Amino acid sequence: MRRKWISLIRYLLLGVYLVFALFPLVWIFLTSIKSPMEVYSFPVKYLPSKPTFQNYQKLFSYAHFGKYFKNSLAVAGVSALASTIMASLAGYALARFKNRWVFPIVLLLFFVQMIPAYLIMIPQYVMFSKLGMLDKLISVMLIYSGIGSAFSTIMARGFIARIPIELEEAAMIDGCTRLCSLFRVTFPLVLPGLSAVFSFSFVNSWNEIFVASLFLNSDDKMTVPVALYSFISKAGVNWGFLSAGLVIALLPTIIVFAFAQRYIVEGLTKGAMKY
Amino acid sequence: MKPRRTARFFLYAVLPVIAIVSFLVVYPTIRGVIMSFQNYNLYNLRNVHFVGLENYKAIFTDSRFYEDLWNTVLWIAGSVSLQFVLGFILALLMWKPFKGRGIYAGLVFYPWALSGFAIGLVWSWLMNGTFGVINDILLRFHIVKYPIHFLSDPKWAMWSVILINVWYGIPFFAIMILAALQSVPSSVVEAAMIDGASAARRLFQIVIPYIKPTLLSTLLLRVIWVMNFPDIIYGTTRGGPAGATETLSVYMINIVFYENDYSKAATVGVIILSILIAYAIIYMKTTSYEELEL
Repeated sequence: MRRKWISLIRYLLLGVYLVFALFPLVWIFLTSIKSPMEVYSFPVKYLPSKPTFQNYQKLFSYAHFGKYFKNSLAVAGVSALASTIMASLAGYALARFKNRWVFPIVLLLFFVQMIPAYLIMIPQYVMFSKLGMLDKLISVMLIYSGIGSAFSTIMARGFIARIPIELEEAAMIDGCTRLCSLFRVTFPLVLPGLSAVFSFSFVNSWNEIFVASLFLNSDDKMTVPVALYSFISKAGVNWGFLSAGLVIALLPTIIVFAFAQRYIVEGLTKGAMKY
Repeated sequence: MKPRRTARFFLYAVLPVIAIVSFLVVYPTIRGVIMSFQNYNLYNLRNVHFVGLENYKAIFTDSRFYEDLWNTVLWIAGSVSLQFVLGFILALLMWKPFKGRGIYAGLVFYPWALSGFAIGLVWSWLMNGTFGVINDILLRFHIVKYPIHFLSDPKWAMWSVILINVWYGIPFFAIMILAALQSVPSSVVEAAMIDGASAARRLFQIVIPYIKPTLLSTLLLRVIWVMNFPDIIYGTTRGGPAGATETLSVYMINIVFYENDYSKAATVGVIILSILIAYAIIYMKTTSYEELEL
């Protein structure tokens, strides 16, 4: 009897949390398919009487949201790819070699975690303006890969350290060079881990706003968060319209997360934090 | 393999990361520290010169700094403690397997991957004082008589942004703690159960000591991370109303975007970084190294 009560309470609490976790997203979606009249009604009208996608249409015609979306995709994709490639090489070296440089390098990478992007964005801004590289997507890609590669390396190192070294040694005895065993044996085995590293830095770059809004000014360079920011700066907020933008902005990272969740969690919890 | 070739391989493998981190993170950090001792204004770039401790003096004598410091303490203490306790409870609830646990995890953990700025915008619509759904629910159930202006009333604003951050941060703690819980050997817990130890005793005397390293390192990282997290506040209040939600990181961004006084922003940045380094050192000294899973 008592057991039954406990398990009932448990499911009740899990249910309550489920509603709490999902409600904001469901609500923003409902708002995005309401007509302007229904968005601004109080008491609130919970379900749209006539669902409409006009906000989404406006988003891609009147505002060049397709362009912003492509920019974000390019920036996040390129910087995640670059930092994952660099991180898997460095992570491999830091996991497999034992010399006096390993510790200071890992320490440096940890220290870098404490320096947030916005602290260094002014010096970066001055640097890039001297190089004539402001308002360019490539500059933002570079900065994201610079900041992202530090944590990606720590994460990749954790994944690689868990692959038994004997497998590589066996391949090397069979006449494979180190580079060959790296690409033939280690990387294929650690691929799920590396995809988690990629997803993690993709999500972080996709979500970044402060560097992007300092560096990217012209309309055709804006990324999605910068565009959302500009929607609220311009003469009040149109909530139906902004909600549609938010849904489109949030969707990609939710999809990435759905696919990579298991590996990201593994990467963050097992070994990734261990020296 | 010959040692020299091995050393060269090591060098080539770590070089790209070291190079890009040095050029784009370490060097700008040093430049930022130098800038904090200079007069560096965007509209007066011909007149950059050293001013000693002037910038620091200006900030330490401004009451805005102390208000923001206090806001930062509230923001961190409120967010992290609630994220921790609620995340812990969620992890405990999810510990014992149940049907559809994997799907459930996916449905409740997702906020973790979202943009803090966008989340701020989402919640400012939910919390809207005129058309917000939260006020609608509170009014329908007669919990309040008048709508609450969650984000524009200085009395409510800080608690509102903390609530948003708690919603955002529970999954992170739940994920980390759940993973740690799964490493607790069930035999130990079962043995204690047979010995008649109450649920509370099992939790505090067996489970918590067992997962202590994870709890400590998660807390350490989270405090650093929340201190450096202006995104939600920027999506909701940008530090307002009347500075009620302006933390140090929001202060710095407001200086960058509204005042163009780069040396002042850099000074606030250096102060934030110093606080974080001091915090990390003290934290690691007081909790022994072996207990930290770094």
